Amino acid sequence: MNRTWIAIAAVAMAVAQGVRPAVVTSQQADLAALEAALSAAPDDLRAANDYRMAIIPVKQYDRSIAFFKKLTADHPTAANAHLNYGFAYVDKIPDAGAITQVILANNALGEFTKSLDLRPSWIALYTRGNSYLFWPRIFNRTKYGIADLTEALKMQKIETKRHYHVRVYVSLGDGLWKYDDLPGAANIWREGLAQFPDSDKLKARLAKQGDELKTVIEADYDPQKRVDTSLQDLWMER
Amino acid sequence: MTTTQRVRRTPRPTAATLMVCVIAAGWFVRSRAAGPAVIKFEDIAAKAGVQFRHHTRNFKGTSADVLKMFTSGGASAAVGDFDNDGFDDLFIVDSGEGTKSHLYRNNGNMTFTDVSEKAGVGGGNDPLSIVADALWFDYDNDGWRDLLVARFGTPLLYHNEKNGTFKNVTAQSGLSKFGNTIAVVAFDYDNDGRLDLMFGNYFKPQNLLDPAGIEKDPHVLPNDLDNAVNGGGVTLWHGLGNGRWEEVTEKAGFSKHTGWTLDIGHGDFNNDGLQDIYLACDYGTDRIFFNNGDGTFRDATEKALGFDTRKGMNADVGDYDNDGWLDIYVTNITDEYMKECNMLWHNNHDGTFTDLSRETGTCETLWGWSAKFGDYDNDGLLDIFVVNGLRSAGPDNYIPVLVDLITKPGVDFTDVRGWPNIGNMTWSGYQKKKFFKNLDGSSFKEMSNAAGVDNDKDGRGIGVGDFDNDGRLDFYQANADQNSLFYRNTTTDAGHWIELKLVGTKSNRDAIGARVTVKAGARTLIREVDGGNGYAGQSTQRIHFGLGASTTIASIQVRWPSGAVQTVSAPIDKITTVQESAASGSR
Repeated sequence: MNRTWIAIAAVAMAVAQGVRPAVVTSQQADLAALEAALSAAPDDLRAANDYRMAIIPVKQYDRSIAFFKKLTADHPTAANAHLNYGFAYVDKIPDAGAITQVILANNALGEFTKSLDLRPSWIALYTRGNSYLFWPRIFNRTKYGIADLTEALKMQKIETKRHYHVRVYVSLGDGLWKYDDLPGAANIWREGLAQFPDSDKLKARLAKQGDELKTVIEADYDPQKRVDTSLQDLWMER
Repeated sequence: MTTTQRVRRTPRPTAATLMVCVIAAGWFVRSRAAGPAVIKFEDIAAKAGVQFRHHTRNFKGTSADVLKMFTSGGASAAVGDFDNDGFDDLFIVDSGEGTKSHLYRNNGNMTFTDVSEKAGVGGGNDPLSIVADALWFDYDNDGWRDLLVARFGTPLLYHNEKNGTFKNVTAQSGLSKFGNTIAVVAFDYDNDGRLDLMFGNYFKPQNLLDPAGIEKDPHVLPNDLDNAVNGGGVTLWHGLGNGRWEEVTEKAGFSKHTGWTLDIGHGDFNNDGLQDIYLACDYGTDRIFFNNGDGTFRDATEKALGFDTRKGMNADVGDYDNDGWLDIYVTNITDEYMKECNMLWHNNHDGTFTDLSRETGTCETLWGWSAKFGDYDNDGLLDIFVVNGLRSAGPDNYIPVLVDLITKPGVDFTDVRGWPNIGNMTWSGYQKKKFFKNLDGSSFKEMSNAAGVDNDKDGRGIGVGDFDNDGRLDFYQANADQNSLFYRNTTTDAGHWIELKLVGTKSNRDAIGARVTVKAGARTLIREVDGGNGYAGQSTQRIHFGLGASTTIASIQVRWPSGAVQTVSAPIDKITTVQESAASGSR
């Protein structure tokens, strides 16, 4: 077990046991250690992800946001730092008020865009595209989500097939559905199911219609629910 | 002492007509037990002579448009029997400069006569003040309800001269403090028999109508849209009993609350005989204060509710699950672009509350404003009517424009000059009202369409009362910049009922804060007389109980604010006056 995992385990244990002064001190030290590790490797996607995962249980979102703000200022070309800076905003959303959620979501999009501008990647395209889908229709951002997810789909089709590529099929279909293109959505979901026949999300979408389908999809875009922003799928083999 | 009365302005009945009434009443009793009620309302505002178009205040200067948008909340209705004829009357607020508020006298046959001019209570919308709320209360315990008009400005107090006219007695009242008041309640926090007043203030105490003042200090808007602390808070005024009040805000423990108060709900939340306070606050945390019984209150928000970030608009109080403890209903904003959900605070009997709005089906009412509990079908369970809608205008939507402001880096929300004009844009407009029928004390069914109340006006205030004394609760809906609605309850097969008009002797004469407990059938029901709960609308001070199919009442107990406990009797399907007895036992 490396140092990062030891720190995460310590923080998780502290949360489980309740917060005591000694534990708090330990938490702070562990987070500081993770920050130090990340500062030494600002573009390390995994280190940044580990740090955010340690932040979430202790709800020190402002600390995380401030850290990534400084990290990206110090290392403006670190695309993965910007990507995780965006996720740091997303991580705070469930604990924020409704209007602050809008501000956080918009800030997150800004950082995802900076990441993409620096280095177009499948994960950044998927992330930004999926983020656009959380915005209510009134803001007209769905079309941007569809564009990003379409690019991500193109990208994954020429890469080695990964288990996480199923996410793009789900989200792109959701985006098309949200854009009132139900046939297009169904086509994408079907295409995805052909590639990933075990996908419960794709099966659920293809099995529902009308209000039932709406309920299934909207449950995945509820700002009150914590979005799983862990990137561990990227390095977890199945 | 109890007296039963059904006051009507009709000739005295003959023996023959009495016989018909008795027979009819017998049929009525049987028919009510025959099947479930069909809740239905009919808008009779025009026919009744109470249709009224409210006017939001127009401002001057470069920030006029934004200030008008932020102050569009003052369409209010106050229900009270000012002439003691046994029928509730209506005072309806207007807010435009130079416009008059209206006093409508109930003729007893569901028509009303505008008596504002004779009464002399229509004023208050001067160039530097906006009328925003109103309250009937008998401040001098002379048996005649007086009128307080709350303003963005200083309040106006009118003494009831007992002859259809009122005298402005503001000058000697001590109520001279400026506030941007949007809500006011009368209650007796120290149970001394003299009514106290709490004013809920939206903006900080700066006159928004003074363009030079706005030029000098344009930082009048919320400093945070989810956690604002730069609002007007509340002021508490202790009644001295001689038509005067003294401010006790700080002494009582309310001065630290600086939120954007939109509504005040009072009630005995912990069953200790003392009136507690709930504050619904826009842009952030609602507050609950428990009464210590020594003239002070303790802020129990953290333990009792937790800190919310929602847009609290309304606080109405009632025991929706008939467990003998008062619950609280708060509207927030739940729309396409913001999913806050309302709060139905279930009283846990231990000084804490749990929000059960999702579980009960009362969560979503769009851009909510006033909401009122009421047993509209007399089945013994409190239903809820909610009005909503901010601004119904042109086809363009203000929300995308607003989001551009909100997401601008480093934006100062407080600066009124930075907010985009709304012009003719719509913002959460054309919203259908919501009527929640209480099914079983734990779940509600939305049925506004079937009930005939799913209008899409920009609602603000609701005044509930049994205006025709038929035992079914009617209500008046005040709308911003639109005609009002007056809903007569035409529910068929409604249950049995009683209504009690409480008259305090040692307690305040209005009996505000008195609790009535009725045991009928398998149920024990509680109601309290409130002094203006619910946003922009005061409901009747008469206590109303639906009894369902029960034709007998096991007991009726009144706990007066004085602490006296009195057992009384009242016939079903009648209005009964109950006077506080000197011989009543104490708690």
